[in-house]
Amino acid sequence: MAASKCTRLSGASVKPLLDSLDCVLFDCDGVIWRGDQVVPGAPQVINLLKKHGKRVFFVTNNSSKTRKMYADKMSRMGFDVTQEEVFGTAYCSAAYLKSVCKLEGKVYLIGGDALRQELEAVGIQQTGVGPDAVSGVQSDWANVPLDPEVKAVLVGFDEHFSYMKLNRALQYLTDPGCLFVGTNTDTRLPLEGGKAVPGTGCLLKAVETAAQRQAQTVGKPNHFMFDCVASQFGLDRTRCLMVGDRLDTDIMLGSNCGLKTLLTLTGVSTVADAEAHQKSGSAERQRMVPDYYVESIADFLPALQG
Amino acid sequence: MAGMATSTRGCCKIRGSGIRELLDNKHTVLFDCDGVIWNGDAAVRGAPEAVSLLKRHGKKVYFVTNNCTRPRATYATKFSRLGFTDVAEEEIFSSAYCSAAYLRDAELQEGGKVFVIGCQGLMEELREAGVPVVVEESDQRAGNIYDYPLDPDVRAVLVGYDDQFTFSKLAKACCYLQNPACLFLATDPDPWHPLRGGRITPGSGSLTAAVETASSRTATVIGKPSCFMFECIASQFGLDPARSLMVGDRLETDILFGAKCGLDTLLTLTGVSTMEEAQEHKDSQDPERKNLVPDYVIDTIADFIEAYKEEEEEQG
Repeated sequence: MAASKCTRLSGASVKPLLDSLDCVLFDCDGVIWRGDQVVPGAPQVINLLKKHGKRVFFVTNNSSKTRKMYADKMSRMGFDVTQEEVFGTAYCSAAYLKSVCKLEGKVYLIGGDALRQELEAVGIQQTGVGPDAVSGVQSDWANVPLDPEVKAVLVGFDEHFSYMKLNRALQYLTDPGCLFVGTNTDTRLPLEGGKAVPGTGCLLKAVETAAQRQAQTVGKPNHFMFDCVASQFGLDRTRCLMVGDRLDTDIMLGSNCGLKTLLTLTGVSTVADAEAHQKSGSAERQRMVPDYYVESIADFLPALQG
Repeated sequence: MAGMATSTRGCCKIRGSGIRELLDNKHTVLFDCDGVIWNGDAAVRGAPEAVSLLKRHGKKVYFVTNNCTRPRATYATKFSRLGFTDVAEEEIFSSAYCSAAYLRDAELQEGGKVFVIGCQGLMEELREAGVPVVVEESDQRAGNIYDYPLDPDVRAVLVGYDDQFTFSKLAKACCYLQNPACLFLATDPDPWHPLRGGRITPGSGSLTAAVETASSRTATVIGKPSCFMFECIASQFGLDPARSLMVGDRLETDILFGAKCGLDTLLTLTGVSTMEEAQEHKDSQDPERKNLVPDYVIDTIADFIEAYKEEEEEQG
């Protein structure tokens, strides 16, 4: 397993690798697009993989779009994709609460409309979405009326995050029987131009600190997102490749699930980052070392077009 | 009690002559406020008398609170309202006051401002100390979460309890902190604050955690258990740690603070922490937990009254 890792995938090696695969899973940001800019060649790669009979899935920690919104964005950009092939954390968190937690009851949601929609799609009602500012005095908020049907708190990306929302989540979480789930722990949103926008991880950390409890996270590198894909489509892990730009989420997920892993350099992590993990003595860090790396997924094109 | 080796922190329950012996050896007593001298808006029974008693016996008394929502003047009013008749503003050290002192002394560049996540009380302490603060525009007018105006003169970010906390404030703080030369301060680390009736509310610590996560930086924390507030008091009034006693109700803030600053520590049971929790830390093998063990424990600071009454009776 540790034999040869972190090797550059040369042109000649692409075809043998593809021949060993039935299925390729792609992260989105930094892999097939960057914000609203498509990575050149990405649509052709995805479409050709499918033409060659490979199953293609998309696995993203972003919780601000439903699978339908993702499929629409992909279509607009030239990707031939159906919504069933997209697994975002909004969809997966709803699936987690429904199928794994078997939640009967409502969710107090810190998150956007996509999360609300995905929850409703599996029959889970939520309370809390939208702006929520503090009013009255401190003793009012501590005694804020709690909905007795709420049995879980779910934290995802929320641009309306406020002290009041943090407070409500805390009040629900003082009941140890209330579930606590986070969509993902990414600390920043991936954006063009380098502007730093805080990610869900920051909001989740605020709630975890106040409540002195740790959330169960759904997103990469937790294996749940792969389980979600695998449970709907029979997959042979040994014939799956995970393609991502982040060592700590994408590659780690691949390692955790026994998949082959490929780092693309169009996003966050670098080869130097990967080599540093490889040289470390830590077993945990070894799981962030990809099997292969490429400059961009467009590097697949010659083998696919040939 | 007398001659107790301070290298094995004791968790010793004391009253009467034990308290008296302890206090006789101290020149200075530092009190936390919430859970020690008052709970919410009600004084702990006997607390005002206990404080007066100490002063009458020549002790210096200071109040050290992590609360960052009120300026000192407002605190002084609360003391007075609750029956503490001889507490002067100068004796009150809140994390708001000390954060302002820190920034005043930090020598921010000419024209340098502080971006503050905090409430009015904190802003007032900063103004009192002459520290320029970025005036926060109403978030709705100032762009969206991806694009908003930044003040080029910001040289420090200060995070404290803010019931008007928003995503925009978090994003702005994160942007300012991209500059490694920008200072990053937090008023206090408390993850939650107790309110009356056993309820709690999110504390400064939870907001600081969000900013730290976003910026990948660690804040310099002013409040307990960091020693900064002790240094702030010591710089204004000469203090000998060996002759000073810290009285508090939270092991992980007050007692740890006292231990780190080299003071003897006294846990009072009128607030957050319990004798059981203190005992668990004492019994633990983990060396990091020994500083959470109070030297002494009392039921309430009202027990000071009884201790001195005994002495007065003996001398009578």
